[in-house]
Amino acid sequence: MKAIAYVITAVLLGLALAGCGGDDEASTSTTTETTETQQTETTQTTTDEVPLGATVVRVVVVNGVPSGGIVRETVAKGDRVALVVTSDVADEVHVHGYDVSRDIAAGGTVRIRFKATLPGRFEVELEERGVPIAELTVSP
Amino acid sequence: MPLAHGIGGVRDLPVPESFFFSAAAIVLVVSFVALGALWRRPQLERRAGGRPLPSALERVLRSAAVRVVLGAASVGLLVLTLWSAFWGTVVPIENFAPTFVYVIFWLGLPLLSVLFGDVWRVLSPWRAIADATVWVLERGGREARPLLEYPARLGRYPAAVALLAFVALELAHPRPADPLVLGIATALYTYWALAGMAVYGREPWTKGGEGFAAAFGLLARGAPFAESGGRLVVRWPLTGLGGAERVPGTLAVVAVLLGSTSFDGFSRTTAWQDLVGEVRERLVDASSGRVDLTLAVVNLAGLLAFCAAVALAFLAAVGTARRLVRAPRPLAPEFVLSLVPIAFAYTVAHYFSLFVIQGQFAIPLASDPLGRGWNLLGTAGYEPNLSAVSPETVWYVQVGGLVVGHVAGLAVAHDRAVALFPRREDALRSQYPMLALMVLFTVGGLWLLSRG
Repeated sequence: MKAIAYVITAVLLGLALAGCGGDDEASTSTTTETTETQQTETTQTTTDEVPLGATVVRVVVVNGVPSGGIVRETVAKGDRVALVVTSDVADEVHVHGYDVSRDIAAGGTVRIRFKATLPGRFEVELEERGVPIAELTVSP
Repeated sequence: MPLAHGIGGVRDLPVPESFFFSAAAIVLVVSFVALGALWRRPQLERRAGGRPLPSALERVLRSAAVRVVLGAASVGLLVLTLWSAFWGTVVPIENFAPTFVYVIFWLGLPLLSVLFGDVWRVLSPWRAIADATVWVLERGGREARPLLEYPARLGRYPAAVALLAFVALELAHPRPADPLVLGIATALYTYWALAGMAVYGREPWTKGGEGFAAAFGLLARGAPFAESGGRLVVRWPLTGLGGAERVPGTLAVVAVLLGSTSFDGFSRTTAWQDLVGEVRERLVDASSGRVDLTLAVVNLAGLLAFCAAVALAFLAAVGTARRLVRAPRPLAPEFVLSLVPIAFAYTVAHYFSLFVIQGQFAIPLASDPLGRGWNLLGTAGYEPNLSAVSPETVWYVQVGGLVVGHVAGLAVAHDRAVALFPRREDALRSQYPMLALMVLFTVGGLWLLSRG
């Protein structure tokens, strides 16, 4: 199951790379398909690795920028959050405010799980590049 | 780093709509009531003299000992900042310099200035170095004389440029909190401050060329403590903002203060962040240097646009006022000080939570400024309380700050109008555009806070 998901992701990353060539149509189709895999993976991770009831925030980084723009998610205070970042570049994923950092290898995936105890808006950043990839809003 | 305000990465939750609309309504009602109900004779300027502080207290405050201790402490902090920046860890949040410069210094001093007056005069490390140098020279029997006379027409423009350079570093540079970048900037600014004082003299350069001195000095004008007639006095807040301010470049300094804060707020909105994200995506194949440069230019353009918009909106308002009352002289110098309370209100509204939350990190950093695992003061293990202020408290402070700043600005402008125009109708008429301007600034500020 997991292996299949990785293969799909890899294929899509390839597509995304090709899509960046400038062809508008290609980019559009990539975006749609990426969303589909995200869903597949989300279901899978939810059952497999993420505590039940956690909100999964999934970010795919392509060429050092978040595919499809900055991922925004809102959760309620006290919710569990699982941040799953897949990146084709090596960097460090940093959740501001909660101050959790994890190194990520090129082509690797990191999962950061935490309980959203602090209200506010928190940036998730590729620390070395200084690129924001997600923003988590924790409503009080 | 796309982080707004130089350091952080945490944004306040947007002010809820209910706060936005009730505050905007209060602002409008208060403004119109104020027009009719405020005093008819100027009150501020004649009260600015205040009452002298008890002479015993004044002697202590002005003693050489206090001066030397504060000066040494501030020079020590400057040295610590440079040392941490150049020789400490490259991780911004584990290095003393970024948190000290962007939070403790840049947010703390406006607050101190508004509460206690022109404290920067005794807290500026550059002034302390210059004073000490002059003292040593004079003890050696030499005369410390500036090389050139400061050209009066430059006014506060050099200070506005220096201040703009600082806020550009904070808000437009790709990595404002990078310790090395900050170290170089601090060293350059030290040179700017010291060389300027050597060339033009301490007092002229402090007033006209040192950006922080000019900014904090303007904010301190409304403070309840001041120097007046050679004495330290206590007086009603805002009274020092009565009267005209004819030094050229004053509007430029205020516009940089107000424009930078509002651009900071705007750059945190989803719209701007998405724009920046889009630029990044388009430049995905470019070198990181080119991406950084492009983003810096985009941010700088935004920053300059906001500063220019503030200045132009003000000039349009006073220009209209002048036409309405057929005033013989330009009114800009007469009303520029009424923007000072609004500038401070913006600072409070945008940076309150950052100051309270991020400011706590200075406690552990003071023990381990270079990020090497030291524990010099025994505070390295201090755990900042990240939930020290609830979102509701932040909203009340933000909205309350803007409304109070609005009322204060209105009062200062009104006082100036009744001082300038003997006929009540003229005074009233001159205030319509000023009122529109302040409603624009305040509701605009509220709008920025309510944006997601």
